[in-house]
Amino acid sequence: MNIKKQFGEGLVTNNPVLVQQIGMCATMAITTTLFNGVGMGLSVLIILTCCNVVVSAIRKIIPGEIRLAIFVVVIAGFVTIVDLLLQAYIPALSSALGVFIPLIVVNCIIIGRAEAFCQKNKVSACFFDGIFQGLGYTCVLILMCVFREFVGSGKFGGGLIDITNGLRFTLDGTGSGIQIFPSEYGAAVMNRPFGGFITLGLLMAVMQYALKKNAKKKALAERAAAEAAADKEEDE
Amino acid sequence: MNGDTKKILRLTFILFVICAITAGILGVVNEVTKDTIYMQKNAKTIAAYSAVLKSDRYDPVEFDSEAFPTIDEVSKADNGSGYVVKTTFPGSQSTITMVVGVDNDLKCTGISIVEHGETSGLGANAASTAEVGVNFRAQFVGQGEDIALSSGGGSIQALTGATQTSTSVTNATATAITVVKSILG
Repeated sequence: MNIKKQFGEGLVTNNPVLVQQIGMCATMAITTTLFNGVGMGLSVLIILTCCNVVVSAIRKIIPGEIRLAIFVVVIAGFVTIVDLLLQAYIPALSSALGVFIPLIVVNCIIIGRAEAFCQKNKVSACFFDGIFQGLGYTCVLILMCVFREFVGSGKFGGGLIDITNGLRFTLDGTGSGIQIFPSEYGAAVMNRPFGGFITLGLLMAVMQYALKKNAKKKALAERAAAEAAADKEEDE
Repeated sequence: MNGDTKKILRLTFILFVICAITAGILGVVNEVTKDTIYMQKNAKTIAAYSAVLKSDRYDPVEFDSEAFPTIDEVSKADNGSGYVVKTTFPGSQSTITMVVGVDNDLKCTGISIVEHGETSGLGANAASTAEVGVNFRAQFVGQGEDIALSSGGGSIQALTGATQTSTSVTNATATAITVVKSILG
């Protein structure tokens, strides 16, 4: 396993949300402001990386029969730790994401990666897998937040960016965001879960299109190379 | 002991160990974050409470809610300096919600009006941050259970044009002190 390949897989070719299509529930529910998206993405990234490392480290001592129970205990442990830390130090994020932080316990991304990847791979590979899959998840959340916030209320960076006293970043969710066009012209439907479905659908379509096109190009290039090689043989 | 029992015992043991380790770690994290989370959750209440009686933490205490229907909550200051009483009572226009600090000698340590609907410029002065409001509320500090308006034999000067609001606030403070007395009693 090389890191570069894992990076590409996490962000694009095996993106957890757009390609593996796991962990989509929270994706649609919380992507209303950039603050939520970044916060949720980073929370999942941290939990996923920790769980991957621990699951990988104990993979040889856990019996196959009870592996799922053990995964759930490990995941629940880390989720609770992150939940407590958020409540203590970033209460605005904790109240904005609400039940979706505890619900990371049942987020398929984490148990999915534990089952599909960490059981069979070394700790270092699992560490990078956690980071890259987490980044892939965060990127999708950010894309969805930016799109939904812009179309829904004409804003960019709600909660995270504050421009009332010059441009600055806020970590307590109080930033008003940059108003690009008046919010009354926004399509309010985008702020609803329904808008989340549409956005996710569009993103997936774009992703599949790009992946298919890429695969076709690769196939064409391979065929051209094969033909060229065949021509060369004939010439000789 | 046959093979199956042995296997089940082994699985149970492994699962138990992992659960125990997880629980231990969670215990530590909980211990570390407990106080901060408490402060965050009660930041607003604490801000209002500490304006009348300084403490880092306030723990609600039991009181006779039938005898004192206007009292919402009585909390004991964690540092032992006294009690904070939250009370909602009728003013001249609508209800007033007020926080009263009472020390262990049953003297008022200050009042803070959290919510009200009094007439702007008259009764609303009781809650105002302007000099008139600050001076009005400052009179309550150090008053005991016998607190009364100057017209009723006490030393509280009523707000101009807001006798009713002044009376309600004064009486509510007296009630707050009485409820603390009943708890200490």
